[in-house]
Amino acid sequence: MGSAHGPISVGSAGTQSRGEVWTRPVLVDGDQSLGAVTRRVCDVVEAPKPPRAWYIAITISASLTLMLFGMVVYLIATGVGVWGNTNPVFWGWDIVNFVFWVGIAHAGTLISAILFLLRQKWRTSVNRAAEAMTLFAVCCAGMYPAIHVGRIWVAYWLFPLPNQMQMWPNFRSPLLWDVFAVSTYATVSLLFWYMGLVPDLATLRDRAVTPLRRRLYGFFALGWRGSARHWQRFERAYLILAALATPLVLSVHSVVSFDFAVSQVPGWHTTIFPPYFVAGAIFSGFAMVVTIMVPARELFGLRDLVTMKHLENMNKVILATGSMVGLAYATEFFIAWYGGNAFERFTFLNRALGPYAWAYWIMIFCNVVAPQFFWSKSIRTNPWLMVGVCILVNVGMWFERFVIVVTSLSRDYLPSAWGYFKPTPIDICTFIGTLGLFFTLFLLFCRYLPMVAIAEVKTVLPDAHAHDEHGHAGGAAHGRSPEVQHV
Amino acid sequence: MKPTNPAPRGVTRVLPADDVSRRRFLQVMGASMALATASGCRWETEEILPFAKRPEDRVPGTTRRFATALESGSTVASLLVTSYDGRPIKIEGNPLHPIDAGAASARSQACVLDLYDPAHSGGLVQMHERIAYPRTWKEFDPWFASHRDALRATNGRGFRVLAEPSSSLALAAQRARFAELYPAARWIDWEPVTRKNEIDGARLAFGEPVRTQLRIEAAKTLVSLDVDLFEEHPASMALARAFAARRNPDQADVLRLWAIESSPTLTGSAADHRLALRAEQILPFVLELEKRIEAWLGKSAGDPTASREGFLATPTVTHFVDQLGRELAERRGEVLLAVGSRQPAAVHAVVHRIHDRLGCVGRTVVHTDEPEASRDDGAKALAELVREMNDGEVECLVVLGGNPVYDAPAELDLRAALRKVALVVHVAETRNETSRLATWHLPRAHALESWGDCASYDGTRCTIQPLIDPIFERRTALEFVAFLNGDARPARELVRASIAEGKSDAEWKRILHDGFVAGTAHATRAPALQRFTVAAAAPRALAPEVANGELELVLAADPRTFDGRGANNAWLQEAPDPITKTTWGNAAWFAPETAKALGVADATRVRLTFGGRTLEVAAVVVPGQARGSVLLRLGHGRTAAGLVGGQEDEGVEPIGSNAYVLRTASAPDGGSGLRVEPTGVTAPLARTTDPNVDDEIGKHGLEERLHELLRETTLAAWVAHPEIEGSTKKRKPIESLWERPEGDPDATARWGMVIDLNACIGCNACTVACQAENNVPVVGREQVQRGREMHWIRIDRYVTGDEAAPKYRFQPMTCQHCESAPCEQVCPVGATMHSAEGLNDMVYNRCIGTRYCANNCPFKVRRFNYFNYNAGAQAEGAHVLRMRHNPEVTVRHRGVMEKCTFCVQRIQAAKIPAKNGQRQLVDGAVVPACAQTCPTQAIVFGDLADPKSRVARLTTSGRAYTMLDELNLGSRTAYLARITNPNAAAEERHG
Repeated sequence: MGSAHGPISVGSAGTQSRGEVWTRPVLVDGDQSLGAVTRRVCDVVEAPKPPRAWYIAITISASLTLMLFGMVVYLIATGVGVWGNTNPVFWGWDIVNFVFWVGIAHAGTLISAILFLLRQKWRTSVNRAAEAMTLFAVCCAGMYPAIHVGRIWVAYWLFPLPNQMQMWPNFRSPLLWDVFAVSTYATVSLLFWYMGLVPDLATLRDRAVTPLRRRLYGFFALGWRGSARHWQRFERAYLILAALATPLVLSVHSVVSFDFAVSQVPGWHTTIFPPYFVAGAIFSGFAMVVTIMVPARELFGLRDLVTMKHLENMNKVILATGSMVGLAYATEFFIAWYGGNAFERFTFLNRALGPYAWAYWIMIFCNVVAPQFFWSKSIRTNPWLMVGVCILVNVGMWFERFVIVVTSLSRDYLPSAWGYFKPTPIDICTFIGTLGLFFTLFLLFCRYLPMVAIAEVKTVLPDAHAHDEHGHAGGAAHGRSPEVQHV
Repeated sequence: MKPTNPAPRGVTRVLPADDVSRRRFLQVMGASMALATASGCRWETEEILPFAKRPEDRVPGTTRRFATALESGSTVASLLVTSYDGRPIKIEGNPLHPIDAGAASARSQACVLDLYDPAHSGGLVQMHERIAYPRTWKEFDPWFASHRDALRATNGRGFRVLAEPSSSLALAAQRARFAELYPAARWIDWEPVTRKNEIDGARLAFGEPVRTQLRIEAAKTLVSLDVDLFEEHPASMALARAFAARRNPDQADVLRLWAIESSPTLTGSAADHRLALRAEQILPFVLELEKRIEAWLGKSAGDPTASREGFLATPTVTHFVDQLGRELAERRGEVLLAVGSRQPAAVHAVVHRIHDRLGCVGRTVVHTDEPEASRDDGAKALAELVREMNDGEVECLVVLGGNPVYDAPAELDLRAALRKVALVVHVAETRNETSRLATWHLPRAHALESWGDCASYDGTRCTIQPLIDPIFERRTALEFVAFLNGDARPARELVRASIAEGKSDAEWKRILHDGFVAGTAHATRAPALQRFTVAAAAPRALAPEVANGELELVLAADPRTFDGRGANNAWLQEAPDPITKTTWGNAAWFAPETAKALGVADATRVRLTFGGRTLEVAAVVVPGQARGSVLLRLGHGRTAAGLVGGQEDEGVEPIGSNAYVLRTASAPDGGSGLRVEPTGVTAPLARTTDPNVDDEIGKHGLEERLHELLRETTLAAWVAHPEIEGSTKKRKPIESLWERPEGDPDATARWGMVIDLNACIGCNACTVACQAENNVPVVGREQVQRGREMHWIRIDRYVTGDEAAPKYRFQPMTCQHCESAPCEQVCPVGATMHSAEGLNDMVYNRCIGTRYCANNCPFKVRRFNYFNYNAGAQAEGAHVLRMRHNPEVTVRHRGVMEKCTFCVQRIQAAKIPAKNGQRQLVDGAVVPACAQTCPTQAIVFGDLADPKSRVARLTTSGRAYTMLDELNLGSRTAYLARITNPNAAAEERHG
């Protein structure tokens, strides 16, 4: 990101200061007045009716959500056996989907917190939606560990609650670390997202035309009046939360990877897992952001705020993390051979050439080969091609978790206990249902909350720098697209 | 069938709540408790009284054990049955009995489930114009008594009895009395699986029928000719025990086993040399063997390849016969040949001649009386009966037990014939295919509810005594015949009069206590060998040339469901076949080459045409099956077995295919002339071991690791160096990150187990024993297909070596109770913990079912309750089904993990009295169910902290090793390596 040609980076100004005149990058297209930004974002929320496509989308996704609830009720009423889990594959799609969704949940906080700390101003247009996605993905992910247990009605025993039964969780178990990691991550992500929302909620409150809207937005705006003191405290708190959230981005998926790495199943028991999982999570998270933002910006007319530059930057992140993931796959194979452990060597050969080879090669194609298309600028700046690649990445990352969880378990130590996992229709419907839940929540978010962080975007507008000494403010940037902008 | 436990669904339907009212249940329970107190049985009083006063010697909640016996076909098992509050819950072998000596086969043990099976008839049924009416004995008795008197008046003209043969003396006495009372009546024996060929073989060889008792203990070389000594033979328990004893590698002259068989069996798997021949090739093989023995006895080996024809000219076969002949000649007097009951009489006769020639008689084989010789030739007599029925000569037919409509020769249309008889009374345990065509179905008492007697294979007279008053109003065959004869004495008296005539009460008590009458074994006979000639058809070439249509079909009884009587027993249906690991139903076995030639693969449905009859059946490819030979097991495809085994009128599809459709009186064991056509339909088999290890990677992985998991060496190597590769003695300790639990100072025991792979024959007895002891649920066919079987101890089976001569290896696998258990570390709620004595305990109440422990278990021995597999027993009205549970073991709910506990309830049951009596636990006081029943005593359990205990001494053996040592688990279960004993000269060529 910080390369000499980094077109948008303010953080990397130092590299460009050698005798050149630094120009402030234009991060937003179209009318760049402060009011215009407010209008563009708030119009989506305040429009009497959303676009027709929104209705179609919410009908489909809400139906799938209903199906999900049906599946969960059936599961709880009947038993985990309604899924395809078997001996020896005691964890099947339940944990595959859990890890998949936790991975998706990575982009939001990464964009918000880490890029914030790194002063990557371009994040402002996409961070709100990405954070929302994080939360919704965490909802989908968090559901799985809860419902996949055999006795859901006592799942609360996972928490260290003092009780008359003298029971206490086993802190040696990575599953317990998982409970804390995911719940902490969910809590901090929620707070961070909500914190950022407060000024925008106040904007909506102030623009509200009905008492109900005014009251509701007003309630959640926590009495924000935009005073300098408010702003000062807000900035401090936001910075602190960003600093808190940053290690969590790295820790949550590391801890999720411990579920596997700390066990002794060949194919799980590898020290590469934490970085490999984090890279994979960012990879899949960004792919999901691109997958969603491209249609959303079209649908709600936000092309000027979420510009091609943003999308291209995210695609670059996908290319980088995809290559890291590819490197991790290669490293695993190398170590399986170099380590000399016959069981581990077998597990990796079996992945690539055994009964699940189809899943392995889907994963390799989608995760390693597909992102390489982003080396081409024309592909990474074409909205529909990039969505195609990102959907492939999402599929590939799902298969990565499937390969890790299922193929390792299906053939571990004793050949007589080997088995082949087949999902049931309930498995499939539950997964599709979580997609429905995710999109339902996202569509509701698009309709009722500001999809772009209004207050933050304003900070990157020329008006915000009216007195900037470089003085290339105001209309100077008007109508200039990022494509013609040069550093 | 639903994917959940199939048995329970029937409970609510078959057994309306008012059938066994609570009141009646208490009466029965109370009565049986009271009577059990008196003598262990109903013999002091026949009245039913509530249990008002507790007798002195009776402690509620303690178990009591009684000796009884079970007769099934020619096999008699002497049993010791555990009774809890008056209900039998667990069957073990009778430790005092000369044959069983404490062991019980899977089939014997599973019969306790039949007692509580909802299909087990609870009432009389009268069929009238195709409508079934429930009846009671009160209605039947006076009505039938008048009918009986009328029959007696005509000397029993038109009166026929079709009975399951029995070795019972009491029944024989009644039968004699019946012949006196009804001189014009006829009594016909019918049973589908008999030892007829064996008896005919003895007649051919000696001119008289004798029974051959095998004395493995005196043999150095054992040859099995198409027989599974450990599953099929009536004395299998004794043979397995003797075999294991003679295979102990620390003795001199370890037994060598050669097996020649058409299908892989437990015996063939245990063999040092195995040759797969079609069943029809055994006769030419044996004749050739006889020649080779003569040649070697004559000190001039001659040319073993001279004038060979057909398959005998194949170099492997020639070499095999020659080396076997040489060994038999060299070890004369110390060799033993066993022949399967499906082999023709000629093979039996020739083997008698070989035994005679080699001087084995009186040493390794002993001849005794053959009581079964007096039985009818069932098929011929049955054909005659059917003719009489069709001609209208039969007025009244009483069918005692059995199921002839299902298992009679296919050419007899018994169904049509039965419709021509005015009165057909069927006394049977379940309302089976025959009962449905009878005018009256009378419920027959289960063996555990009956008085009776029977004779074990050596002739020892065993007693059958009831452990419980019949749960419903059921009667035994003996009682029914006595009723026909107008004999009003209770069954107990009939039995006592037959087997303990003139014995005092004290002696009679002794007999009942022991379960058999000592000293009643058959006398030894010394029959003289006759001259006879056996004409063998010219031997055909070895398999590849066998054309479709000329294939061989072998019809054999199923080791689990037997002739079909076990088809409704869910434990037996779910016990995997040791060789194919299939459960729930039968499948036709094909050799890989034959399957390939015919276009047959695993799980494809094939159409078999044999003798003009066709049957569609699933196929399974079995390495080691003789090429050109197809094995199909009888005893499946029942249409009126019950909700487990198939019941058409309840919409329950038959399990497996009915092989009796292909079975005729002239070819009861099959023969050549089979045509096989694949139907193109594939239906998955329910197998407990993934059969898909046929991909190259999987096979390679298996071969690569197997020698470390299942260690094996040859006797020569073991004698030269009595410490195997990887033995516990050689193991160097690995540093552990964890501290091993020290346990509390009060705990003195360190429980551990040793499993001797050299002794294990892979018979499943331990699996069923564990299932009975630990309330292990049955999951049903669909769940097994999903890989969710629940057995706490399973027999891992590995097939190695090349496809033409595969080796089958068995390894009992259960929780290893690791000291540093991977399962314990990962459970987030601490539901699996280490006990002070080193048990890896499972706390069901605390388990929330994350299944992480099972993922992290390297042995995959943990079992998860994916559904509520006990739902049926918890249902309203399922009192009877619930009665079979062992109250000492928690019945697990859905969503929890379970696994082997080393029978912790048995440990406690031994510890508590020892502690109360301030005694030390003696070695051998705690015996888990698997170890208890093991016919070869391959499983030894005990305290590793006591250096003198058997288990501790065995772990210091040079054969002892623990699995997956590199994981630093500290397994408490050690295995003893398998030692093979091949003939070095024979190995050279074919091994």
